[in-house]
Amino acid sequence: MAFYLLRRVVSAIPTLFGVLTLVFILIRIVPGDPAMAILGDSASEQALQAFRERMGLNAPLISQYLTFLGQIASGGLGVSMVTGEPVLASVLEVLPHTMELAVASILVGVALGVPLGIAAALNRNSAVDYVFRVVSLLGLSFPAFLTAILLILWLAIEVPLFPVISNPEGGLFNRLHNLALPALSLGLIMVAYVMRTTRSSMLEVLGEDYIRTARAKGTPRRRIVYTHALRNALIPIVTVVGLYLGLLFGNAVLTEIVFNRPGLGKLIVLALNQRDYAMLQGLMVVYAFIVVVINLITDITYGFFDPRVTYS
Amino acid sequence: MTKLLTTTAIALLLATGAAAQELTLATNASNAGPLDPHVSTTTHDKIVFGMMFNGLVRFAPGSMTADSLEPDLAESWERSEDGLVWTFHLREGVQFHRGYGTLTADDVVYSLTRAGDPEQSAVSSDYASFESVEALDDHTVRITLLEGVPSLLGLVANYHGGNIVSAAAAEELGDGFRTAPVGTGPFAFDELSEGQYLRMVAHDDYFRGRPQIDTISYRYIPATSARELAFRNGELHAFVGTREDRWVNRMRDGEAAVVDVFEPGELRTLHLNASMEPFDDIRVRQAVAHAINRDELVAFMGPSVARRNDAPVPAGYLGHAAGMEALPYDPDRARALLAEAGLPDGFSTTVHITERTALLTPMEVIQAQLAQVGIDIELEVVEHSAWHAAIRDNVSAMVLYGAARFPVADTYLTQFYHSNSIVGTPTAVTNFSHCTVADDEITAARSEPDPARQLELWETAQRAIVEDVCAIPLFELLQVWARAPDLNYGFDLTGSLSLGPVITEQATLGE
Repeated sequence: MAFYLLRRVVSAIPTLFGVLTLVFILIRIVPGDPAMAILGDSASEQALQAFRERMGLNAPLISQYLTFLGQIASGGLGVSMVTGEPVLASVLEVLPHTMELAVASILVGVALGVPLGIAAALNRNSAVDYVFRVVSLLGLSFPAFLTAILLILWLAIEVPLFPVISNPEGGLFNRLHNLALPALSLGLIMVAYVMRTTRSSMLEVLGEDYIRTARAKGTPRRRIVYTHALRNALIPIVTVVGLYLGLLFGNAVLTEIVFNRPGLGKLIVLALNQRDYAMLQGLMVVYAFIVVVINLITDITYGFFDPRVTYS
Repeated sequence: MTKLLTTTAIALLLATGAAAQELTLATNASNAGPLDPHVSTTTHDKIVFGMMFNGLVRFAPGSMTADSLEPDLAESWERSEDGLVWTFHLREGVQFHRGYGTLTADDVVYSLTRAGDPEQSAVSSDYASFESVEALDDHTVRITLLEGVPSLLGLVANYHGGNIVSAAAAEELGDGFRTAPVGTGPFAFDELSEGQYLRMVAHDDYFRGRPQIDTISYRYIPATSARELAFRNGELHAFVGTREDRWVNRMRDGEAAVVDVFEPGELRTLHLNASMEPFDDIRVRQAVAHAINRDELVAFMGPSVARRNDAPVPAGYLGHAAGMEALPYDPDRARALLAEAGLPDGFSTTVHITERTALLTPMEVIQAQLAQVGIDIELEVVEHSAWHAAIRDNVSAMVLYGAARFPVADTYLTQFYHSNSIVGTPTAVTNFSHCTVADDEITAARSEPDPARQLELWETAQRAIVEDVCAIPLFELLQVWARAPDLNYGFDLTGSLSLGPVITEQATLGE
């Protein structure tokens, strides 16, 4: 297991390196001038030049690239061009908020998606199945920001239960109160994915010989579904959850903006608006790292659900 | 029952909020820029600088005309006969925030010197005429100029480089000053949560008296719908609105909101790039001017937020040529001029434009108007910051630009129409049209001691610009903020050079 982990971590290094290079190039291809974005359009040409010089933006690209790699190698992510604060500190400040949101959304997705998927599979081609499938299609088709705005209109304006601005501070109750709408908004997309995967996975497992055997032996239906079928149907579900956890971090961008909630997504958009190259690069490194870690955790989880999976 | 509980909870929350006098505002930016008044010139930062800093003089709260300038950190001042030496007498006992001590002349010398240093200031070129700034004693400062400037008071007002910072704090904090600024204003910096809010607290020792508002949370909410929903839900007291007639009327009709529409009107001007064909031919520039229907543009934007302006300098600025008449809307004349210029079938050109509706929408109207005379415009819509970079790279045949500057004709004329400001040059500012016809008048007016003659020179300059059709001034778009009726600024908000309401010690919340 330890050797497997080590091998996976080492094999992630070229991926990270590729991502870093791509990010460095992409950021500089995006049109726009960091000096102008940060100092404002009234800034004088002299001041803009002085800023570019100070931030090393006038240096040859290769030299900027090597400086960037040097920073990463030394374990730092540089300092923000806007605030002068270390990028890592900004990331660590908001990371818990995005993780909180992602985990809560997953919980919403799994808590609603799995039971709905099972119900759809058990009632295949019935009215229940069709309704659930159409609803999940709607869930997939709705952009995250639209779901968010509709939820705000309903649960913050019409029925004033939750705040519009999600402010994740204060005690546990306040944090949960502020987390509810963003998590629901992001989690609804997850419900659709999890439900569809659960349904198809359950249908496949329910057609297996050992399920038929269990039925023939007179095993109660509840036991067949939850013990024999569900456990074996879980692997694709775990894969989907792992895969979409990475996507959730991406989708969180829109949710964090609509709810004005701090997080990695919001940080990345504002860094992009301000052309804060250092911040953007640092954030991309963090994103890439998170995706690699999530994939690793997903792979390890397989063994927990399926004893046939071994790590060597 | 649920509704009753919710209502009770909200009432309790509101009651608590009223007692604590916590004010929440929202801007449309996604984050604070560098919170140093000499470094950032972006609108959303300027609003908070107005609350945290003072100048030697200030625009009276709620006003932005040059004649509204009044004493701020300086109690009085005098100027030499030739206007080159200015002496300011400072107010005594003014305290900086966070225990940084009492303001002295050294802080003023430090601040104005810093404002003129391109390494530390984004507006250094504004101070190029400063020969020296000296402290004569603890409370007297002398500024000596190399040449006359149209409004020295404007350069020492609470705007851009005129904001006075604590020398001790700026030296001690270095780059850290950008995230924890120290001034003398009614509100002191307290906390910045990146992309979330900037919190300011009342400055207990403010020289005009402690503000009645205890705390200001200035939130960064880029999504228009999110700001509006939060306001409707009682989570904001004031927010930047949408500069459209429909929006203003809807808010005024249907919401418990007061909508303030105020100066400055940012003048929308279509600059025609004479360094590019076919705009190097004055007949083509005249044709464009004849093809544009200003009144239609104003009607489209809406009379509550837009007003027509034919002069290159915005209305309300010292030196604005009020009687100026631009070439009239006459599509037949436009077609005839194009034919004379050898373009009887019109022509096609590409124009870069920002994705922001305040400029994109009028540009689309212009596009439709020009199509009527055979001018086919292909719009290259780009992200705002990328657009700023592109138009300064001289890649666009036309540039629709909107701006508010210090309200004296010189700033506008110098930045947009003097040959030193032509884009793509080392001294570039925003002369997108490559205009050179008014250099002599602009330069002469700058150091003209006789005010009447100065006004005359500015008017001549504007006439030359209009006659040469360097640019086509179109209309001014006013500023729009909405607020809850229980928020009282303490003054009538008729103008703000910060482009937003500056909260002072006079503001109150509640009945």
